[in-house]
Amino acid sequence: MGLLAEKDRRYLQDLFSKELQNEVKLLFFYDENCEYCDLESQLLDEVKELSNKIIVEKYHKNSEKGAEYKVEYAPALILTLNDGKDRGVRFYGIPSGHEFGTLIQDIVTFGKGAKPQLSDDTIKKLQSLDRPVKISVFVTPTCPYCPRAALTAHNMALASDMVSAEVIEANEFYDLSEEFGVSSVPHIAINRNPDRYFIGAYPEPQFLQQVLELSK
Amino acid sequence: MNVFEIGGSGADIKDYYDIVIVGGGPAGLTAAIYARRAGLSALVIEKAIEGGAVTQTHVVENWPGEISIEGQALAQKFADHARHFGAEIHYAFAQKAYVEGDYKVVELDDGRKVKGRVLIIATGTEPRKLGVPGEAEFRGRGVTYCAACDGYLFKDKDVVVVGGGDSACDESHFLAKIVKSITMVQNLPYLTAAKVLQERVLNNPKIRVITNHVVKEIRGTNKVDEVVIVNNDTNEEQVIKAEGVFIYVGLAPKTEIFRGFVQMNEYGYILTDENMETNVPGVYAVGDIRVKNLRQIVTAAADGAIAVEHAAKKYF
Ligand SMILES: Cc1cc2nc3c(=O)[nH]c(=O)nc-3n(C[C@H](O)[C@H](O)[C@H](O)COP(=O)(O)OP(=O)(O)OC[C@H]3O[C@@H](n4cnc5c(N)ncnc54)[C@H](O)[C@@H]3O)c2cc1C
Repeated sequence: MGLLAEKDRRYLQDLFSKELQNEVKLLFFYDENCEYCDLESQLLDEVKELSNKIIVEKYHKNSEKGAEYKVEYAPALILTLNDGKDRGVRFYGIPSGHEFGTLIQDIVTFGKGAKPQLSDDTIKKLQSLDRPVKISVFVTPTCPYCPRAALTAHNMALASDMVSAEVIEANEFYDLSEEFGVSSVPHIAINRNPDRYFIGAYPEPQFLQQVLELSK
Repeated sequence: MNVFEIGGSGADIKDYYDIVIVGGGPAGLTAAIYARRAGLSALVIEKAIEGGAVTQTHVVENWPGEISIEGQALAQKFADHARHFGAEIHYAFAQKAYVEGDYKVVELDDGRKVKGRVLIIATGTEPRKLGVPGEAEFRGRGVTYCAACDGYLFKDKDVVVVGGGDSACDESHFLAKIVKSITMVQNLPYLTAAKVLQERVLNNPKIRVITNHVVKEIRGTNKVDEVVIVNNDTNEEQVIKAEGVFIYVGLAPKTEIFRGFVQMNEYGYILTDENMETNVPGVYAVGDIRVKNLRQIVTAAADGAIAVEHAAKKYF
């Protein structure tokens, strides 16, 4: 039996056939001491079957590819277009529960050329950034508010080469969550600094404001 | 909940809908179902997740036809139902609403603007704050309002649940499967939850219930260490060691963005007539954000139906 329900599979096939205009490449990184790597690998096999525009490549975290994409943890999932360029959109931890929806939205966005789904104003502000900004969104699969925060961050990465956004599954990376003092998700840390964070799903302009402020 | 939830689709929205609904909880989604069945186009604007507060509920046992169903599963059914009849759901925060001639306009945080002949406000409530020292300071450092979201971050830890109503009891029951121990602190001399929920809590060896006490302060260094509670009668203080504090002390309406647009009572709940219409013609309010006696899924759904039925006759 597959991981995805038959009804969801049909829905997604239909969605992807309508929405995906170009190929989307999913780079998956695994290693041996990883509880959910096998499950995510299987999930990606099923996702790949949903559309011929979806390409999945799998690498060991410590491979050359892993170094090229600076992969720190496994499982990692990086979305790219056919060119393989790292646009700063990645997941650490399996995108399950509500976060599977985030992955689906990301695939759709990449399938339309990876243009950021943000207001012109937000895009303009992000493009004028003169410093690198890393957004880490800690989530849990059971958090209904997390996909909004995750998607906003991912889209911000698409808006500017200065911005990268990682979605981190807090239960799976428990030690990292402890280090960042995560106790309520979505918890958004900026530039991997445990003292620079905000909590909750903010509307886009306020989210942007926090990111800009905290990255100063 | 499903191990893999597919979430909302990312289709583009149009500029105009007969009925624009802000909020995708049971009230908003029911309004969408009725609108579509009346032949009207309907857009639901949702900032977080379709199904609203129902997605946060562990199990629902008072929605007719479902003896016991996970909140997330029921929420998904509502959304599937609305989509089945052709309602569109768009993910964005509504930031502003106003009247422009015969139309209502809603501005969204993604820069979009959408027009409707009729606007239905269904933005629900959010958890009420306790208003004690330490609560804001330790938000995200041990203080939380969502057991479904954050429960597993407190695996094998001692936590305090504040409140004694339906939500507090239901969520404690859920949390008990994850955490080491729960101390429930309730300000009244008794729990106020439905009897079945109370029993579940009282019979659970992991849950200790302290009634007739109020929380005075949440203390810690970098994160929550302890909660100070006070006996209402004796004023005696007690310190409970805990790494987490889950607060379930009631709800507050999410109506700030409509302030000055429609009439509200002093607490921010929207006033309507029996057809759910506000003081602004063509603007309705349904579900938990309305002044009413019982805030539940069935009453939210009923409001949505009543509003659309009325709007369809009056404005189309
Ligand atoms: C823990 C808990 C347990 C409960 N258990 C039960 C139960 O067992 N049985 C029962 O009948 N009821 C239960 N309830 C109550 C029930 O969930 C609510 O009465 C019901 O969900 C109200 O529906 P609604 O549509 O009015 O609002 P909500 O369900 O709150 O939905 C409102 C929606 O509007 C969205 N929104 C808000 N502002 C904006 C904005 N600016 N832009 C876009 N979208 C916005 C929100 O994200 C939300 O999804 C429970 C509630 C809680 C919190």
